[in-house]
Amino acid sequence: MVVLLAVAACGSKKPAPKILHVEIQGMKYSPDALAVAVGDTVEWTNNDLVPHSVTSSTFDSKAIAPHATWSYVAKTPGDFAYNCTFHPVMVAAIIVR
Amino acid sequence: MGLMRTSIVLVLSSAALLALAPSCNKKKAPDTTAGSAGSAVAETGSAGSAMAPTPPPAPPPAAAGPTDPQIAAIVVAANQVDIDAGNLAIKKTKNPEVKKFAELMVTDHTAVNKGAVELVTKLKVTPEESDASKGLTAGGADNRAKLEKLDGAAFDKAYVDNEVAYHKAVINVLTTQLIPSAQNAELKSTLVGVKPAFDAHLEHAEKLQATLEGGGSGATMGSGHKM
Repeated sequence: MVVLLAVAACGSKKPAPKILHVEIQGMKYSPDALAVAVGDTVEWTNNDLVPHSVTSSTFDSKAIAPHATWSYVAKTPGDFAYNCTFHPVMVAAIIVR
Repeated sequence: MGLMRTSIVLVLSSAALLALAPSCNKKKAPDTTAGSAGSAVAETGSAGSAMAPTPPPAPPPAAAGPTDPQIAAIVVAANQVDIDAGNLAIKKTKNPEVKKFAELMVTDHTAVNKGAVELVTKLKVTPEESDASKGLTAGGADNRAKLEKLDGAAFDKAYVDNEVAYHKAVINVLTTQLIPSAQNAELKSTLVGVKPAFDAHLEHAEKLQATLEGGGSGATMGSGHKM
């Protein structure tokens, strides 16, 4: 009985939220596709000399200054394409499961 | 159409930026070994052994690229030229896409200059003016004077055409002159790191140029911001 309860408890336990990183450098997001779980935090760091943004239909960092970071906690499952509002060539996505 | 496109481009980009490429203008030394000398030996047969061999021509002196202090001044001048042109465009254009592009140029080139100045300050490199940096500044002033005389679609076309040519020229000089000549590793790394921004600017400018040539009057261009 004790063993069964322990197994059930383990089965229902959610993994601890993680912090995942995306680097912005050379006018690219790296990685340009990132799978995350609901509750995870994604942190973008701008290592370029120019400002960038991380903008989708559901989140928008506004301008991220050089050497600054911006974070977003994934709340709902789905595929979220995003881009830089300043530089149309920059596109990427996070996949929330 | 009298848009003065060609002259603006030539003044701004070619005169100043091509001044950075001394090796391109050097005349090639006459080749005295392979062609004529070779055939002469063949025709004279055994006489070749009595002739002193023709020494190979001395290699041309290595083209001296800009020094790190000169590179610093060139970078600052190149960015400032585009900032000034962008500020003029923001003031004059009625086209929202051209204005948005000009605002981006001002923001990005200001940021690049800020980073460049911070770096050379840290490295204790004092920017040193050269013919190239002076030419860039003078060419930029001349370009703005010509743009000032234009309005409406003529202004937009001249400004964007020049942005395309300017970024092509800057990328070329960055790749062939500034990056190879930079001695300080951090300066070289910064120049390499900033090139993608210039590439992106060029791509953006070319798309904008295509919309203007297609009769675009400012409708939203390219990818939307929201997905």
